[in-house]
Amino acid sequence: MSRALLEAEGVVRRLGGRRVLDGIGLGVERGQGYVLSGDNGSGKTTLLRILAGLEAADAGVLRLEGEQTPLPRYPDDWRLRVVYVHQHPYLFHTSVAANIAYGLKVRGVAREQWLQKVEEAIDWAGLREVVAVPPQKLSGGEKQRVALARAKVLSPQLLLLDEPTANLDADGRRRTLELLPRLFADGVSVLIACHDREVIELSGVRRFHLEDGKLVPLA
Amino acid sequence: MDLLEPTRQAFALLLRGDPELLQIIWLSIWLSVTAILLISPPSIAFGVLLARRRFPGQRALVVLVQALLSFPTVVVGLVLYLLLSRRGPFGSLELLFTPTAIVIGYMVIAFPVLVTFTVSAVQGADPRVFETARSLGASGKRAALTTLSEVRFGIIAAVVTAFGRVISEVGCAIMIGGNIDGLTRNMPTAIALETSKGDFAQGIALGMVLMALALGINVAMAFLQGEGGLK
Repeated sequence: MSRALLEAEGVVRRLGGRRVLDGIGLGVERGQGYVLSGDNGSGKTTLLRILAGLEAADAGVLRLEGEQTPLPRYPDDWRLRVVYVHQHPYLFHTSVAANIAYGLKVRGVAREQWLQKVEEAIDWAGLREVVAVPPQKLSGGEKQRVALARAKVLSPQLLLLDEPTANLDADGRRRTLELLPRLFADGVSVLIACHDREVIELSGVRRFHLEDGKLVPLA
Repeated sequence: MDLLEPTRQAFALLLRGDPELLQIIWLSIWLSVTAILLISPPSIAFGVLLARRRFPGQRALVVLVQALLSFPTVVVGLVLYLLLSRRGPFGSLELLFTPTAIVIGYMVIAFPVLVTFTVSAVQGADPRVFETARSLGASGKRAALTTLSEVRFGIIAAVVTAFGRVISEVGCAIMIGGNIDGLTRNMPTAIALETSKGDFAQGIALGMVLMALALGINVAMAFLQGEGGLK
């Protein structure tokens, strides 16, 4: 049986007459970490957003666990299985715990269960000391870790991270970098759009490289 | 003109809890709150729809609703009068010169305020709110509700502004309420009437209540907004 979790074929996205993505095809295996590298403007974020079901592609096919999804339509449960984290994550004006609980509540998880999962996620992301701080007052690194905990707690089949270490201070970057291998170790399939050398060189991570909207083989 | 004596009398009326005055104040608040409670949910929902959905004529609709903001309330009263008068299409309902007619008028006046403020609040929301909610698995409806929750201070401002507009409104209330003592006489219409009669004490007393209400509402709003409010 194929280990492919997600397959993309011929994904095209045009913006203003330009092909931002030009026939992208890739496969993501279960429990594997990937980096999607490329210069600014190469189409990394656009591809992630299409895979997340947040942006419509002009053409292409996605297959999640073999189920074919002709773009731009997505099945209703797509975003329950594939979770995307913004480069600058938005945290709701509630609390750190309520942010982490959001997706669990959406999924109708019982209160006792989500309370326990949220506590575990807070510890997982090292957020215990900031759990009482209003989310808008957290540092960039802390916000990123809340967003990672909020996504990870959902046990998605595929986690899409957009530049998770960009624009963070040294400590925020270090602590985010520590979390990424733990995601892979937990068996979550992760695709990270990034040009951070340290992320690209994380152990066991495979790499796709985008240039001008096309995946190119690495030298 | 001596203002001290009527002002002293106004304070006396308020302090001794003049029954007529209290009845007018109570009716004003009751009519305004009822109208706002009834019209807020559909107006806010319509505002969210206008802000988030793209459809032909959407921009024109937004401009039309915004134009209604500056519509003279006395004209709203005139149109409703024609609709509700005995010869009008809704004359058989016998609503003219009743509190219900005033509530209807207030709802019409509050509608563009609520819709415009909601559109502005939702369009001003960070686009990542909706996307984040969707990406975490929320349905479109739930993500819209989350967006609404994130812009709640703007929505509260909409409701408070609409309330302030209707409770101080006089033209429409006189046209379709008739300023009937004990039935449809509210604070603004009573102020207009008493002033025209030269009885300034009651007018000043009601004016003070209106200003106190406006101040109280704005203080409450600032308190509710907390850290999300004006810095």
